[in-house]
Amino acid sequence: MNLRKYLVLTRAGIVEKLYYKASLYINLLGNVIFLIIAYYLWKAIYLSSGTTVIKGLSFEDTMIYVVLAVAMYNFMEVFLVWEIGRNIQSGKIILDIIKPIKFPLYMFFQTSGEVVSNFVAAFIPTVIIVSVITHGRIEFGLHILFFLISMVLGVLINYNINFFIGTVCLYTESIWGINIMKNVIVSLLSGVTIPLTFFPDSLYKIISLLPFQAICNIPLNILIGETEGIYAILVKIAFQFLWFLITMFFSSWFWNKSIKVITVNGG
Amino acid sequence: MKKFKFYMRIYIKILVQDIKSKMSYREDFFISVIGIIFTNLAGFISFGIIFENFPSLGGWNYYEMLFFYGFSLVAITPMQCLFDNNWNLRGYIYTGDFIKYCFRPLNLFFYYISEIFDIKGLGQLVFGVIMLQYSWIHLELGFDFITVIELLICLPTASLFMIAIMNLAAATNFFILNSGYVMVTVFKFTDYVRYPNNIYNNVIKNFFRYIVPIAFVSYFPSRVFLTPDDIPPIVYVSPILGMLFFYISYRAWMFGASRYAGTGS
Repeated sequence: MNLRKYLVLTRAGIVEKLYYKASLYINLLGNVIFLIIAYYLWKAIYLSSGTTVIKGLSFEDTMIYVVLAVAMYNFMEVFLVWEIGRNIQSGKIILDIIKPIKFPLYMFFQTSGEVVSNFVAAFIPTVIIVSVITHGRIEFGLHILFFLISMVLGVLINYNINFFIGTVCLYTESIWGINIMKNVIVSLLSGVTIPLTFFPDSLYKIISLLPFQAICNIPLNILIGETEGIYAILVKIAFQFLWFLITMFFSSWFWNKSIKVITVNGG
Repeated sequence: MKKFKFYMRIYIKILVQDIKSKMSYREDFFISVIGIIFTNLAGFISFGIIFENFPSLGGWNYYEMLFFYGFSLVAITPMQCLFDNNWNLRGYIYTGDFIKYCFRPLNLFFYYISEIFDIKGLGQLVFGVIMLQYSWIHLELGFDFITVIELLICLPTASLFMIAIMNLAAATNFFILNSGYVMVTVFKFTDYVRYPNNIYNNVIKNFFRYIVPIAFVSYFPSRVFLTPDDIPPIVYVSPILGMLFFYISYRAWMFGASRYAGTGS
């Protein structure tokens, strides 16, 4: 595989992202405001509860988790379902399919530019700020390397799920409904809405087997040191890798099957 | 008055057209309804999980919190159903299609907004009404002629605030090209409508009262029913404030539209 032709797409994505600077700033400002609101919301929740530790999480633990989970999901989410769905409706997709590049790979590298620039511009500063505010609760050691591997796997799993759902749009012509269902399920079951530890135990057991928590929850727990020890970390990463293979298999199988029945109007 | 009748007639005509065209995409409609139900279920589940671990929030118990939540869903519905076309504004301005709205002998804002009626928003209304009723019974609030009048004043006022907030956010599309972020960001605030305003610190509290006034969408009007002996004074003037705020948002929207120059296509 000649990687260079793909990396051109990544670069184009970064350049495009930097072009709309106003959007970038507004997005950043919005994120900061949400973090402040989340802070006071959880503070109030903990104050009302009367105890300082709930299900093993102190207020500070919860805050670190919530802030990083939101930041992480934000940098991964690139509205791929929208993109594919709209391209199907307008017929533009046919131009992408006939390119001498596999369409799933083409879309991946096209959106990767946005992921990379979001990661650098939003996620890294957030991690540094959290680390400074909490006086080094996030340690910078060997596990950062594992975190990066785990995070890349998370991005890939998220991409596969998105691509699978995007392919569904070939059949339904409904983008909004499909997209919102996916968003709701992923953000609830990946731990972005509320930390997964707060779920009832029986529910938590089921959720921890699903691929959604491999998107955010696993890399995050490695980063904040919740998953300790090389062995435990490697087990989690193996789990992610397994889900990566499964989701990739299903999304490419579904795509190859669907492409044969595609009907596109115009283009 | 004659003008009002004229506009009503036009509105109904456009509405019928829109529903007809929606019905030709029946699949899309059903999937969207399921999507709305999913969203509300997820909101309710996360609400339930938080309350399983924490029995009260800022002095409000579970049923009172449910009341705020239900009230907010009902109050948001008119914005969701009637003003949904604001979401397409970014695309229309970017591609230049917005020009088609400028050539009608009608009020531009009226014509633009009336084009879309979002039926799926009604799913949210059902959720809201059920929650409101459920908490109403458990709180033993009582129901008589006065409460009906209060509801008839408080709900539309709350809706006006919500509509005005989104109108203002949508108007930014005229000034910042290809930026949906303002609308998306402001819309995300509506997730916090369901939490009582008194739990925040002063800065956020006032931010939600006077900058992005979501406190008026659920917290303040709900106080009329939850704490009838301790209603914040500002609640009594909120109907006027709501109308004023809506008018301002309308003027801002129209001002933005008047600056619209087209793309030349």
